[in-house]
Amino acid sequence: MKNKLVCHLIANYPDFDQSLKIAEALASGGAESIEVQFPFSDPSADGPYILKACDEALKAGFTVDKGFSLVESIIKKTKLDVYIMSYANILLTMGIEKFVKKSKASGVKGLIIPDLTLNNDDGLLNSGRKYGISIIPVLTLTTPLKRVDEILFREPEYIYAVLRKGITGKSTIITEENITFLKYLSGKKAKILGGFGINSRDQVKALTPHLYASVAGTVFVKKIDEGGEDILPDLKTMVKELTTDEL
Amino acid sequence: MKYKEYFGEFGGRYVAEVLRPSLDALEKEFLNIMDDEDFWTEYERLSEDFTGRPTPFLFAENATKKIGGAAIYIKLEGLANTGAHKINNALGQVLLAKRMGKKRIIAETGAGQHGVATAAACAKLGLPCTIYMGEVDIKRQRPNLFLMELYSAEVVPVSFGSRTLKDAVNAALMDWAGSFEDTHYLIGSALGPSPYPGMVKTFQSVIGKEVESKIYELNIDVEAMIACVGGGSNAIGFFSPFLEKDSPRLIGVEAGGTGIGEGEHASRMTGQGQKGIIQGYKSLFLANKDGQVLPTHSISAGLDYPGIGPELAHYGETGRIEYTSATDSEAVEALKFFAKNEGILFALESAHAGAKAIQLAADMPKDKAVIINMSGRGDKDIFITAKLLTPDKWINFMRNEVSEYEK
Repeated sequence: MKNKLVCHLIANYPDFDQSLKIAEALASGGAESIEVQFPFSDPSADGPYILKACDEALKAGFTVDKGFSLVESIIKKTKLDVYIMSYANILLTMGIEKFVKKSKASGVKGLIIPDLTLNNDDGLLNSGRKYGISIIPVLTLTTPLKRVDEILFREPEYIYAVLRKGITGKSTIITEENITFLKYLSGKKAKILGGFGINSRDQVKALTPHLYASVAGTVFVKKIDEGGEDILPDLKTMVKELTTDEL
Repeated sequence: MKYKEYFGEFGGRYVAEVLRPSLDALEKEFLNIMDDEDFWTEYERLSEDFTGRPTPFLFAENATKKIGGAAIYIKLEGLANTGAHKINNALGQVLLAKRMGKKRIIAETGAGQHGVATAAACAKLGLPCTIYMGEVDIKRQRPNLFLMELYSAEVVPVSFGSRTLKDAVNAALMDWAGSFEDTHYLIGSALGPSPYPGMVKTFQSVIGKEVESKIYELNIDVEAMIACVGGGSNAIGFFSPFLEKDSPRLIGVEAGGTGIGEGEHASRMTGQGQKGIIQGYKSLFLANKDGQVLPTHSISAGLDYPGIGPELAHYGETGRIEYTSATDSEAVEALKFFAKNEGILFALESAHAGAKAIQLAADMPKDKAVIINMSGRGDKDIFITAKLLTPDKWINFMRNEVSEYEK
């Protein structure tokens, strides 16, 4: 048995070609799908490692056009489902509908935009429906259940559950609180992606019964930060280890 | 009292779900205190005894004669305790946070004035506070850093992004995402997700109310009111009683910096701002074609910010507020002019408003008046202005200080 893992990477980090190779390495290690973050200059929900990586990706010349080319290449090479994660301003500047349309044309499966939420999304959800792109709401343990229900009422295909209060990159303990929250969600129709702070096989294993897939990102960014070609086989091994049920 | 979430299409609450419950709770408590007499009695008592309200309203007689046009009046808001209008909002929000049972305050600061005000209000009202400040700003505003620490605030340098005010806001938001249960985020300008723009305006509207009563008392015919605009908390408070009226002219002055090129200024309303959603609110921002925020420049750290409060952006679009800009050197000239002629020391931020007032008053008839909001005083800028205006003397002084110390 294998535990499903969505692997998160940052577009154009450390550069375009390497981020494509990173995606391939993650895929060959057994990633279930790839979440590509389009870096934004002023992110409000990222931890220090992701933040630094986004800074570097921007300095290395990230553009939204490059982001879409990367996504297209990843889909072509890995045949995996790809989600884009970014922030409101990147979409708004292009035009939200145009961004969604372009995502569809690029073969993207869904969008994760934490600062565009239900009733404050400037039409993102409607555009997603129009073009057949999943708009994936991001929920946290502290989201009131009334709000959770309101969001689930729109029947999202996926839900992104943040498994701790706070930002990416600090270690997540799979507490009873997390499991209770996930159990509540799993009673619903949506497929649950669970992330933030996942870095060990034990965490993934503990979460697997409650999730459609776990999401890991910071753990890879830390490795990529070390640099060099050698990291590619290491990334592959990391994904293997995170997803294997038995060692 | 009125409170709005949107101003035309600007404003809103564009935050991740993680922050939503705390904003909901904050909004609820803010709505509660709006009509709570006890709250306002306490706030007004502190405003008088601690802040020093009302702040003076000065007829700048010498400046008026020298320029020879409209009468120039200056609201000396910078004479409030801690040296700027920022204290009005800091006091209000710390009182509110205490009512909500919060145990800790966090804040961002650019020039350091909001940080100093927050640290002082927290010291007075007995809450610990953490202030986020960009490394670039720390370098140019060392005196304010010292003051914050003296008030026993913890100052955390922000080392990512452009290491200025906007990054300090991001750092504070990230702290809050993990700490909101016992922590209040005290935003210093009339921006951010709702209810902040409306709440900050409410606490700053005392400036405009005092000005309004002075206008009646002195029976002056005001042609224009002029304020500098960074995020815009002094401007929105100063303009607040007049926004729904047709007069006087309301003029916002942005940082013209050193030029009109990218990264040389912080003028969002005079042509270069574009619609965006950043730091939880929709407004006009300086950003590139992809929506990445552009670097800004101003000699005044307080105006060195890529966004503008949503209500100010809205009134810019409707035309109620006129926007213009003053360059770094125009601001410095205004600083010198008012120091020499009026014995008044403008903060570099407020000196932008002073600079435009000098130009505008000259073309207005003598029976009209213009009012400048001197939102801050310029003591804090001495390491910038002394170095700029008397470089040799200042550097000698610094050398001597260092050598004295090293003995």
